[in-house]
Amino acid sequence: MMNYFAATELHISLAAETIFHIGSFPVTNSMILGGFGVIVMLALLFYAASKVKKGGYNRFIGLLHWTFEGFLNQAEEIIGDKKIARKIFPLVMTMFFTVIVTYWISVLPGVGAISWNGTPLFRGLPADLNFTFALAIITVVASQVYAIQKHGAFGNVKRYVKNPLKDPIGAFEGILELVGEFSRLVALSFRLFGNAFAGEVLLLVVAVLAGVFSIAGLPLVMAFELFIGFIQAYVFFVLTLIFTSLAIQTHGGHDDHEPSLTSPDHSPVDTTKKPLAAAQLE
Amino acid sequence: MDYSTSFNTFANAAADPEKTGILASLGIDWMLLAFQTIAFLILVVLLGKFVYPVFVRIIDERQEKIDAATNAAEQAEQTAAAAQEDVAKLLKEARKEASAIVATAKDEANAAIEASEKKAKSRAEKIVADAHDQIEKDVIAARKTLHNDTIDLVAMATEKIIGKTMTGAIDDKVIAAAVKEAK
Repeated sequence: MMNYFAATELHISLAAETIFHIGSFPVTNSMILGGFGVIVMLALLFYAASKVKKGGYNRFIGLLHWTFEGFLNQAEEIIGDKKIARKIFPLVMTMFFTVIVTYWISVLPGVGAISWNGTPLFRGLPADLNFTFALAIITVVASQVYAIQKHGAFGNVKRYVKNPLKDPIGAFEGILELVGEFSRLVALSFRLFGNAFAGEVLLLVVAVLAGVFSIAGLPLVMAFELFIGFIQAYVFFVLTLIFTSLAIQTHGGHDDHEPSLTSPDHSPVDTTKKPLAAAQLE
Repeated sequence: MDYSTSFNTFANAAADPEKTGILASLGIDWMLLAFQTIAFLILVVLLGKFVYPVFVRIIDERQEKIDAATNAAEQAEQTAAAAQEDVAKLLKEARKEASAIVATAKDEANAAIEASEKKAKSRAEKIVADAHDQIEKDVIAARKTLHNDTIDLVAMATEKIIGKTMTGAIDDKVIAAAVKEAK
């Protein structure tokens, strides 16, 4: 009897599992649920856009409106350059919506419990490292693209490579920046993956250990996971903006190492400010 | 209950010689990674073309309206301040004019009072002069009356002394006798 109500087997897999193949292309359980989540997200957003175009309004439209306004203002504030903020806005907004919708869908009952040939049929897309790694790569590449647009290809390379004889501190900073880019890639992807994966495992463990009593305990954990999903989506959104903002900041020469109160450019005050904000979020 | 636990990935990665290495152990498959990257970029393009511009346009329109309203409010505030200044200026001028009018009225009133006083004085003087003339006339008349009465009284007294009624002829006789005595 208990078996009908609660999961009885702890099936934990670090990687998304292949359910079937299309030709030689493997379709994983995270892709099935992620695809469903993306369809739901597209349906909701297109419905909202068409409703707004017709001048319609309801609470959902109001919520979306409020979200867009808040996030757009935040993007403009963090980036500083309104034009670039408007350019990157679709990317960061899609990241936010995709992460939050796929994360929340993975909290639905049945995810992890419904199996196909002994393999869970559904798995949250953020709990698939391929997805989070793809998002992190896109973030880092996007910040590089905007940095090249701002400083030029040569100017962007100069952020990392400096003559150690002329500017030893700058050269060391450049190496640190380069290492920072890779650490961002890893940190972004593993943070989201770790949270989502841990959430799914937590739900599974609670379901298995609490048995029939999980009916009382699971909703609390699910609510917590919904909150975590929002936080993770928001963190991804903000960090992408901060990394882009750091990449497009104007760097001066060697004099930048000296404190300057008059320079509006990337002074030591600025360099500590934004990484600090990024570090706080991380 | 069967609490069998399977940590598939590590086991599979170890079993499959093609899926070795840390990335394979973590489940990173380059084909899936590329697919998900491309799928996500398509999603960005789709939403960026058809959904976000609708909301961004609405936000911009609202911001424009807010800006316009703010400008209008600032302009109204400036107009109100200017109007207040004008009102203050007008009030100042009105007060000035009122003060001038009051001063003129006071001067005119003083002049009128002075003229009235002058007129009254001259009238009083005239009345006094007229009264003096009348009194003089009355005195003269009284004197004349007194003279005549005295004459009459003298005549009456003389009549009583001489015992005769004084007529013209007697009068002349008496006068002649008196003149004779005097001589």
